[in-house]
Amino acid sequence: MPDWKTFVRGRLCELRIPPARESEIVAELAQHCEQLYWDARARGLGEEECLRQAETAFGNWRDLALHIERSLPIPERRGLFTGTLADVRRMLRFLLQNPAFAAMAIATLAFGVGGNTAVFTLADALALRGMPYPEPHRLMAIETHWSRQNEVEPWTSAPDFFDLRSQSHAFSQMAGISPVWNDIWTTPANTERLDTLYVSASFFPMLGVRPTLGRTFSPAEDERSHPAAVAVLSNAFWRSRLAASREVLGRTLVLNGQPATIIGVLPEDFHYRGDPLAGKATEIDVWLPLASNALVNVPRSVRFLKVVGRLRPGISPARAVDELRAAGLSLAEKFPDTNRGFTITALPLSDRITGRFRATATLLLGMAGFVLLMACANTAGLLLTRAALREKDFAVRLALGASTWRLLRQMLAEALVLSLLGGTAGIALAFAAVRLIAATAPASLLPSYAIALDWHIIAFAFLAILLSAILSGLPPAGSILRDGIAQRLRYAARSLTAGHRRFRSALVIVEVAAAVVLLTGAGLLIRSFQHLLSIQPGFDPRGVLTISTQTPPSARTPDERKAIYLRIRDRLLSFPGVESVGAVSRLPLMGSNLGTAVTIEGKTVPGEQGPDVEYRAATPDYFQTMRIPLRRGRLFTERDDASAPPVALINETMARRFWPGENAIGKRIKIGPNPESHPWIVIVGVIGDVHHFGLDVDVHPEVYRPYNTNPLYAPILVVRSASDPESQASALAARLRSADAGLPAYDIFSMQALVERSTAERRLIMSILTGFALAALLLAAIGIYGIVSQSVARRTQEIGIRMALGSSPSEALALVFREGMRLAVAGAALGLIAAAAVTRLLRNLLFGIQPYDAPSFAWALGALALCAAVACYAPARRATRVDPLTALRQEG
Amino acid sequence: MRDLQRGSAEMILLALLEARPRHGYELSKLIESESGSRLQFHVASLYPMLYRLERKKLVEGQWVEKAGERRRRFYRLTRAGRKALSAHRHTWREFVDALNGLTGFNHA
Repeated sequence: MPDWKTFVRGRLCELRIPPARESEIVAELAQHCEQLYWDARARGLGEEECLRQAETAFGNWRDLALHIERSLPIPERRGLFTGTLADVRRMLRFLLQNPAFAAMAIATLAFGVGGNTAVFTLADALALRGMPYPEPHRLMAIETHWSRQNEVEPWTSAPDFFDLRSQSHAFSQMAGISPVWNDIWTTPANTERLDTLYVSASFFPMLGVRPTLGRTFSPAEDERSHPAAVAVLSNAFWRSRLAASREVLGRTLVLNGQPATIIGVLPEDFHYRGDPLAGKATEIDVWLPLASNALVNVPRSVRFLKVVGRLRPGISPARAVDELRAAGLSLAEKFPDTNRGFTITALPLSDRITGRFRATATLLLGMAGFVLLMACANTAGLLLTRAALREKDFAVRLALGASTWRLLRQMLAEALVLSLLGGTAGIALAFAAVRLIAATAPASLLPSYAIALDWHIIAFAFLAILLSAILSGLPPAGSILRDGIAQRLRYAARSLTAGHRRFRSALVIVEVAAAVVLLTGAGLLIRSFQHLLSIQPGFDPRGVLTISTQTPPSARTPDERKAIYLRIRDRLLSFPGVESVGAVSRLPLMGSNLGTAVTIEGKTVPGEQGPDVEYRAATPDYFQTMRIPLRRGRLFTERDDASAPPVALINETMARRFWPGENAIGKRIKIGPNPESHPWIVIVGVIGDVHHFGLDVDVHPEVYRPYNTNPLYAPILVVRSASDPESQASALAARLRSADAGLPAYDIFSMQALVERSTAERRLIMSILTGFALAALLLAAIGIYGIVSQSVARRTQEIGIRMALGSSPSEALALVFREGMRLAVAGAALGLIAAAAVTRLLRNLLFGIQPYDAPSFAWALGALALCAAVACYAPARRATRVDPLTALRQEG
Repeated sequence: MRDLQRGSAEMILLALLEARPRHGYELSKLIESESGSRLQFHVASLYPMLYRLERKKLVEGQWVEKAGERRRRFYRLTRAGRKALSAHRHTWREFVDALNGLTGFNHA
């Protein structure tokens, strides 16, 4: 016995009346049918006959609906949206009764909306969101560029900064910012290395920062002639180390052996979104006045400041740039030795900070948009099927005088219901995805504040939902409009009109094309990544652990510092399993640098600044520990100290660039901006190139000097061990600390981890794009599956006749496959053309391959072909099982 | 003539409800049994007819739950319904009288 309400609802077409009244009528009619049924049963009739009586009780159900509608009161006013609620309820009911349809549509849209929301969240956090400072568009990054070597970081020298600041009219404020500095904080109990930043007094007012406690620097405290020993604490430092005590103001911090008075604590939500200096995006612990850093008194040739300025109201960025250029030219005229060839310019600070992500973010958003479009196409396809099944309903209702708008609105309302359900699932999906990415993405990539779903993300998601509602609702709605009523009634007997099929086929072709584009893009990125991983970093990271330390301020002379290093080295060497220990001033893949100018004997024009090269100091066993190969000449020895003739090692790139076709051994260079005051240094060896800035960044020219001549303040130790270095990290760090009281040990990594971290950004983009490509592939497969299985259902009779006439099952299989694969081939062809155009946009994400990389294209096509075949297989199997007799008996 | 036919169907329903409220199924059974299925009144038009009468406020439908029985929608005659019924009866009587006068047939 059926559920009688469902029984009635399944037969009575939708009534254009208030839903409450409709369900009352359904209940009443259901009761009537039920009673009929039971009376018939009581008369001893069979189940089938009883059901037939209930079925035919009202004659034609469609007529009944018609009569009922006519007999009911006409609502006084039919607004544009009267009855929409009823549409929504009807759709919900339909979804409950068709869980497969519901699951497919909702999952599809959840993919689309969720993917877009997740990517938008990331893009927004990384590239789109404005900086959290008042009037951020007026903040400019002021930079000094060297025309001869563009890759040199655009640092500005302190004297230049002071001149620019005093002469500027365009900027109301201008602040100099040091690189992230490491200062040693000593308490009676502990020694700790802090990340500090030296900034101008105008820095905090310029960014609109109001301290939580106390105050920030006054201009008087930032005077070069007599800088004040004062410090401002970050909120995190204040909380974690000083227990958020409100009594810290006036207390002193001992930094590098010197006391500094605490004058303020910054608010919790202040994070300087400066460049992730040293590649580590560190949280700054303590802020100090720029003037208190000894580097402000260095010559004009030493460039180490980042400069940020705030434009005066009414001044355009272009005018500020003009002013800076002019200032730069006059500086070059005044100080030709140090400033010739340098230009000063400015760009919006937001471009400097987020610019590098913008293209990538746009690209990912574009890809995500593609997937959303595909999801819409799939949903539209599903809704089209539903619309086709109700064509006669619609036709009758149009004939009865329902307005076209009413029906259109219903289709759109249904699409909206689906989109909202899918979208809500999508937002949940996005939330999970964002959490996953935030947990796994490299810290250097993530902005300094938490990535979270906030109102404008939700707004974006709803926009995506609305868009998908319209895009997936319009095709079925359009199908209502396309044909006249008469034609509609004539066609209605068929389950699916030819127009519908053509339209769905077109949708599937577009989906396949989009999938090909995304797969090709993902293929290109994956191949780039493989290429990247095949790049040798120039050293052997396996089995090497790195620990950073700093010699204590008490070690003043080079000899004292050398003694400490040797003590550390011997301690570490005595650790079981340790094979060798070395130290260097800057480690590969650990981030930024401060280059130095070299003068090349016989090549650099006297009076002109020579080219910029990377400078490192290293111990003799550094190269052996890192397994950096010696190409020519010799390495350092312990005898290369201050008393011996000055020597240097260079890398192959430097040898090739400055002495092409020559032997660089024995050639002489000077290091530093003032050649007159430096001795000539003899090149004694050429070592292999090392990728210092990332596997995908070209190697810069490099000079190594022996550590003996200039023992390191902050040696970065490398320890090669026979066993897994990572498991010994804390034991080795403890051993290092035991070498001397007050030695810090920090930045402890395995070199392998550093290599992996350097590829993390690419890995993330590749993973996201691959995820989208796979989602696209799945959606395309669902699309193909949907249309092919529908076609099999439609052609059951035809297939039955063919089989009755002697066709073999394999011929039926081929028939179905042909239909599905035709769509796949058409889509693939279209997709290839589109991919050829689109992959060019990926060019700057690629590494080692061209945008027209044949294997990537082949991979995309192969994956697609496989998926299409799988999607065709299930319906095709169904076709081979068609029983000719059953098929023929089916209603035509 | 159609009006008359519809009027007659209306009158039948009103008359059936005159004695007491009844539900749809009961009405359909009554029509079937009492007219011996001779009336041109299909069950299909029963409910639309009831709804129309309701719309005209001649009958009033109400869900009633009786002990031991399920909830059913009962229709009862309103005051306007009674008036309409007597008006219908009047019309019919006149109609029949006129017929009688025309045909000379006295059915009483």
